[in-house]
Amino acid sequence: MVDIEIEIDGKVVHGNSGESVISIADREGIEIPRFCYHKKLSVSANCRMCLIDIKGNPKPQPACSTLASAGMKLYTKNAKAKAAQKAVMEFLLINHPLDCPICDQGGECELQDVAMEYGSDVSVFNEGKRIVADKDIGALIHTDMTRCIHCTRCIRFGAEVAGIVEMGGTGRGEDLKIEPFLSEGIQSELSGNMIDVCPVGALTSKPFRFEVRSWQMNSIQSIARHDLVGSNIFTQTHKGKVKRVVARDNESVNETWISDRDRFSYQGLASEKRCLVPKIKVNNEWREASWQEALDFAVNGIKNNNSDGSKFGALTSKNATLEELYLLQKLTRGMGSDNLDYRSDFANPAAANILKSSISLAELEDIDHALIVGSHLRLEQPMINHRIRKATLNGASVSAINAQTFDSNYRISNNLLTAPQNTLATLSGVLKAVLNEASEKQPDYLNSVVVEQAHKDIADNLLNAENAVVILGEHVNGNPDSDGISQLVKDIAEASQAQTLNVSLTSNSLAAEQVGFRPVNGKNALEILASDLNSFVMFDIYPDFDCFNPESAIENLSRSDAFVVSLNSFEDDSVLKYSDVVLPIASFYETSGTHVNIDNISQSYSASVKSAGDSKPGWKVIKVLADLLEIQGFEFVDSCEVADEALSMTPSTSVARAKITGSEIPEISTVWQCAPYSVDALVRHSSSLQETQIGQINVASVSKATAKLLKLSEGDLFKGVPVNINNSVAEGCVFVHTYQPRKC
Amino acid sequence: MNKVCFKNINKDNPSSLATYEASGGYKVWRKILKGELSQGKILDELKTSGLRGRGGAGFPTGLKWSFMPRNQEGQKYVVCNSDEGEPGTCKDRDILRFNPHAVIEGMAIAGYVMKASVGYNYIRGEFMEPYYRFEEALNEAYGAGLLGEDINDSKITFNLYTHLGAGAYICGEETALLESIEGKKGQPRFKPPFPANVGLYGKPTTINNTESFASVPDILAKGGQWFADLGVPNSGGCKLFSVTGHVNNPANFEIPMGTPFSDLLEMAGGLREGRKLKAVIPGGSSTPVLPAKAALKMNMDYDSIDKAGSMLGAGSVIIMDDTTCMVKALTRLAHFYYDESCGQCTPCREGTGWIYRVLKRIMDGHGKNEDLDLLLSVQDKIIGNTICALGDAAAMPVESFIRHFRKEFEHYIKNGESMVAKDG
Repeated sequence: MVDIEIEIDGKVVHGNSGESVISIADREGIEIPRFCYHKKLSVSANCRMCLIDIKGNPKPQPACSTLASAGMKLYTKNAKAKAAQKAVMEFLLINHPLDCPICDQGGECELQDVAMEYGSDVSVFNEGKRIVADKDIGALIHTDMTRCIHCTRCIRFGAEVAGIVEMGGTGRGEDLKIEPFLSEGIQSELSGNMIDVCPVGALTSKPFRFEVRSWQMNSIQSIARHDLVGSNIFTQTHKGKVKRVVARDNESVNETWISDRDRFSYQGLASEKRCLVPKIKVNNEWREASWQEALDFAVNGIKNNNSDGSKFGALTSKNATLEELYLLQKLTRGMGSDNLDYRSDFANPAAANILKSSISLAELEDIDHALIVGSHLRLEQPMINHRIRKATLNGASVSAINAQTFDSNYRISNNLLTAPQNTLATLSGVLKAVLNEASEKQPDYLNSVVVEQAHKDIADNLLNAENAVVILGEHVNGNPDSDGISQLVKDIAEASQAQTLNVSLTSNSLAAEQVGFRPVNGKNALEILASDLNSFVMFDIYPDFDCFNPESAIENLSRSDAFVVSLNSFEDDSVLKYSDVVLPIASFYETSGTHVNIDNISQSYSASVKSAGDSKPGWKVIKVLADLLEIQGFEFVDSCEVADEALSMTPSTSVARAKITGSEIPEISTVWQCAPYSVDALVRHSSSLQETQIGQINVASVSKATAKLLKLSEGDLFKGVPVNINNSVAEGCVFVHTYQPRKC
Repeated sequence: MNKVCFKNINKDNPSSLATYEASGGYKVWRKILKGELSQGKILDELKTSGLRGRGGAGFPTGLKWSFMPRNQEGQKYVVCNSDEGEPGTCKDRDILRFNPHAVIEGMAIAGYVMKASVGYNYIRGEFMEPYYRFEEALNEAYGAGLLGEDINDSKITFNLYTHLGAGAYICGEETALLESIEGKKGQPRFKPPFPANVGLYGKPTTINNTESFASVPDILAKGGQWFADLGVPNSGGCKLFSVTGHVNNPANFEIPMGTPFSDLLEMAGGLREGRKLKAVIPGGSSTPVLPAKAALKMNMDYDSIDKAGSMLGAGSVIIMDDTTCMVKALTRLAHFYYDESCGQCTPCREGTGWIYRVLKRIMDGHGKNEDLDLLLSVQDKIIGNTICALGDAAAMPVESFIRHFRKEFEHYIKNGESMVAKDG
């Protein structure tokens, strides 16, 4: 890359040799029309809209595929360039239906915009226009392929970014059709980005179809909260409702892309199952109440059941905002209790999970090897997986220690199938192999560990890499050995000089860690749910999905001497079963807040819309509860003040070394992995996401031998989930991947 | 006549190895295998010979070969373009049928010169007999130890594979051809980068026409000057001309460059009794049409045909006599390009269909006075704006047909029927 000078329209500009002319022009603010060019996709030069005149070249050349070289003289607006651009514009429009008034893309359409400048007022095309039959390509993307201008951005997005070639061009000449090759349509977890890259109204958002015109909406900067990335988005609202979510560029976080989960979850806001008014349970009968009455009822209940704070406990989901987490821990500790946790779905919340991430999202692209432990990364953390995929495109290799072989969008060269009960032993083997190779001293607990060839292979992969990363995934959360596992991952990374990435603490878990939302001396989530505490605040908890053992949790909370205050955005029968008060709180996009992402970046956002019905932002409800409970230190005027105080806390970083001791895990264990579109209440209520193949994931995979031991056959129900016998699963475990409520 | 590519055409078993070797075949290749012919010498002879690419563009072959970064590390490829699909041409078909070993030897020599150890011959999908003949010859060549790994301990490796196309004209465009070999849909790549730098599987690749490769062994056996002297300045050697259309004896003729067109017409048996020459497309359907007067003055070489207002192209001479309706002829050509456009880039995808539809409308008797200007404007908007030359090829005939035969078009629009008697 050498800095060179070129001349565009008489203006001397700088660029790098080998850089495309169009990207230099973009940087310099020189407008060149284009359709097929996209900064994040490969160059295809097929639309020909960016034709410009290059001095010394007899024909106009596309600015996107022309690489700058020193001394080049370019003309983007002279007669020759204009003639070529107008010619292409005319060709693009002759078969385009020009149905802008009924097209959802109208007002934000690249074809419309460019046609205003380069198109002609009158068409001389008098032949019949082309009509293309549409295919149903799924619940998320609506197609109107008659409008397609064959720029192939969607094809290239699929092939290059999503990593699944789902769209392609069939036929030739005028009959060239852009369509999915398979009848099942588009299934990528990143598919919605095709809507963003489509320059015309050929691919539009199906849930948004005909809702409102684009110019009638407000675009509000926000942050998506379903994963560890905190993708930057715009929520687009109309008359107080979120109508659409689109990606917002942030190169270091989500680049230009967002996952379908982040894009379409907003639909859940309009669900009929929203909690809209406070409810109280009097004489075992639920009735609606005013906020005043409900708050008094809640506060009295807590006070009456709680002579000393040790009988109070608070649980939250990991989707709460930083502010909510901070205020709730402050309330709990203000009550004199240390019984608080956000890890209600962990098998072993006593574990510290000491693994800190040492590599940033952007740096992931530069790794040359990744070892994934316990994660279906593509579905669980799509945007992180995307970075790993980019690294693989540059030659990085990937190995995995998983209970199942997952369908990935890159090659996993070394996949060591390991059941949960064997994970500790496998990682010990890998650690020993790494230490052997590096001829380093070994700790005593590795003495009895046997190193197998498979362990050695994984170790070799790590040691042969210059810049490796070990990724710990969320499957570890359901493993009683999680403490030892995270310690071993840390040790392996250290011994092989690899980076670490902990994706096991998902959503806004890092905010919970920031504010210390876990007990120091008190009871953790599992203990709280099994204890004889008698007053609880349950924040955004849906026990059937959020508790490790829903049945026992619900039973314990339903004790007659337990007073439960629930704060929820969505109605839930189990919540009604054990609660005494349900206070309706704002859901995503209805409250201001802060998300802490895997790079430890705190991203704050304001509310995009007013909260539904009579519901209130969670942080305000907690503040008022604290005031009514007469706890000091809640004099906050807005959530920014809360965030400032929360972020000024220094989270405890020193954690004792975890012991590597195996727990008692049955010989045949279960991994229960919530399907990606069931991870929180909002996505569970997004009807379009639920209709997709990913939303419908419902399978208990088991090997032939294990099935025999469990006396399971194909199609049987295992804990309510249909059994599929295949050889992708480790022996000795059942891998349940489902949208259904968890069963222990 | 028939001095180079067709020299064995009248012998028994012209395609066999024995026939080829009896006429001096593989002598050059054996010399190379013995280390007696250097790459530099070969390039010099080729440049002296004046051989120009026989596929249509006429780019000097020696120069093309010298562009290849032959000392670059890694795999390089030699590809033969036998996807002969241009309406009017059928010469490569007969080279593959009657002289396949010349193609093999030419490609092997090219592989040696450019240090490419692998070659592909991409044969048009409809060519079944040529495909089998070529495969047969390939087996013979392997059997005789002329191809393979470290041939005769020479440290020279050359493996040659045949790839049968699937019936798309666009795959004759060299980069679409590469895509097709790679197993993708045949669509041209944008250039630069050129195949010499980024070609097949991203590696340096040289692509030549069948006739170009088949001419190489004789050039090296008999000398570049010998070949150059067969033709005229700037158009060295012999060239195959496929004469089709309204002649008594349509056929392929290998004649020296510079032969007068009228001689070629005579070789093809002349026009039928009582017919007069009306128009000639000298180089295949993509080249501009010439009226009889201009055609009869030209000689069959690059410069002369250029001067007459067209191009030598692939040497595909389409003869039209006075019974030809030029509107119908152009409509048929337009339909061909409309049908064969790959659809990748806008001007060609949309423009070829537009041109065809307007012409079809004229043919249907619904022509409008402004249609001719419209046709000229559409073709002008295609030319020079597309990824590959198909767009230009589709557009150029429109301009030349209308320029030379405008009256016929105007008559058709005005009267809704052809100016030419229907019994033709």
